Amino acid sequence: MIDVVQNTLDGLAIGSAYGLLALGFTLIFGVMRRLNMAFGSSILVGIFAGAWLHGQWAAGMIPIFAATLAGAVLAAAYVERLSFAWIRGDAALASMASSFALWMQLEDGIARAFPQRSYAFPSFDILPLLELGPLLLRPEFIAMFLTAAVLVVALHLMLTRTVFGLQVRTLSESREAARVSGVNVGRVAFLTFCIAAAIGGVAGFLIAATDGQISTKLGLWITMKGLIAMVISGLGSLRGALIGGLVLGLVEAQAQWYLGASGREITVFALLFVALILLPQGLAGRADAAARNEALRRL
Amino acid sequence: MDGFTISVLTNIALFSFLAISAWILLIAGEISFGQQAYFAIGAYAAGIATAVWQWPFVAGIAFGTGFGAAVGALVAWPTIRLSGLHFAIATLAFAELVRASLNVFSYQRDIDGYATGPDGANGFRDIRWVYEAGIEPGAYLVIVAGCLAAVIALVALMARGRGMARLRIVGEDPILAAMQGLSVARTKIAAAGLAGGVAGMGGALYAHLATYIEPAQFSVMTGVHALAYGLIGGLGTVLGPILGVLIDIGLLESLRVFSGYRMIVFGGLVALVLILRPRGLLDERNVHRISAWLRR
Repeated sequence: MIDVVQNTLDGLAIGSAYGLLALGFTLIFGVMRRLNMAFGSSILVGIFAGAWLHGQWAAGMIPIFAATLAGAVLAAAYVERLSFAWIRGDAALASMASSFALWMQLEDGIARAFPQRSYAFPSFDILPLLELGPLLLRPEFIAMFLTAAVLVVALHLMLTRTVFGLQVRTLSESREAARVSGVNVGRVAFLTFCIAAAIGGVAGFLIAATDGQISTKLGLWITMKGLIAMVISGLGSLRGALIGGLVLGLVEAQAQWYLGASGREITVFALLFVALILLPQGLAGRADAAARNEALRRL
Repeated sequence: MDGFTISVLTNIALFSFLAISAWILLIAGEISFGQQAYFAIGAYAAGIATAVWQWPFVAGIAFGTGFGAAVGALVAWPTIRLSGLHFAIATLAFAELVRASLNVFSYQRDIDGYATGPDGANGFRDIRWVYEAGIEPGAYLVIVAGCLAAVIALVALMARGRGMARLRIVGEDPILAAMQGLSVARTKIAAAGLAGGVAGMGGALYAHLATYIEPAQFSVMTGVHALAYGLIGGLGTVLGPILGVLIDIGLLESLRVFSGYRMIVFGGLVALVLILRPRGLLDERNVHRISAWLRR
């Protein structure tokens, strides 16, 4: 029983990081109506920028965090220009293929600049391990959970209370309507892309700091986790993305404990496959899902 | 031809199967991130057939092809009604499910005193039919190229008949296709079966060339590459995906000029091509132009 509770706690913690990744994906998908395959690799650029700073000057956590965010946002801006802004609006496939190509390019560039198998990333070792009776709570996990909660609230406020948020929502409803009402579509899309990358950068920073080391494989890993969490939630909403992440984290933690690493992989993908067939609207499927499906069908 | 050229050409031909497989689904209007699963299924099925069950080579290849086609159609049956993105993720989930399952799949029999057959994550060694039959790399290239030519001929035949037109209309506009009395789902399931078969055949041929296969070889990366080849090469003709493979493997990997910077150059090249030609180099318009020019 204690195991189940402990797994649940661990799962929720890593799940909140997955939720942040899914949030980034959902934002981009909502505004662009296209998949950004290079999402994981732009975060990878950020993480390695942080690791480089750490290795070079043994910088503190705050500059490393800033470098991670800056790297992720810069790489994302590059991807946005080449794969989204400069490709015609009706060519969703081309954007996806192009972002995939840039994924390869960024990942290979990083692998070339950082040839070792893995690099050290600073971890929060200053914080003590929390014990709640028989349960152990890693401080990184609490940080992850809290950060995710704060970011979601902040994002929600931004989307519902600011003019920019209104523009983003208009854009995700209808590109045409946004243009007609005088929204600078290109600028809003670009900024949304950068915000998504920044959120992903935060998640990447937390994941890297929890592991204490990073490798170039993280790019694919981030893309997969974010995509899966986004799809479990049903592409509906920001709240859905977070729920999707938490569910994925929970399932992974329990399966890892009871079935081992290969059992975890099989469980997660089998669950995803079955969930897609039985519940294509996702866990957070809502009334607006039908409208979204129309847009999805075009992809 | 020297050994290097032969191995490059064989690689190009084998990757072309996977690229054509992804391309067929693209024409049917579906994105699949998971064609590597059928490549893996074909490879394992054919390997088991010739190495464990001691079937002859042709029967093994046919088995791999048929098995790939059957699984392709079977997986498409519940998933094809999903919207585009959901289908794409479902193919990804299925492919990763196959890879993860192969990691624990063990099926070994004692053949000539050796335990032969797939052994989970340790892979599947000694698929030795081609090696034992004394087929040289050059001769094997001819076999692979022959199979690829058969696939291309089949697609060309479909393009002459109504098959390809049917696939294109279903891919371009499912509602219009349904109004013409076409069964959209059935057409797409048939396309998925065909795509699975093509990938399965490629996998079967690959397994016999490599003699050793392991689940890690059939990762998402492989599948996404296959998809990208069709998109770069062009959606207008079946030669499009092959052009994509030629550009990547033929030009960049094999020419030493770009050695080490292959993905950086290739990635940038693809991004630029797609800005100028969103449906690839050999898109419908270019194919039309070229065929008009040839007819002159």
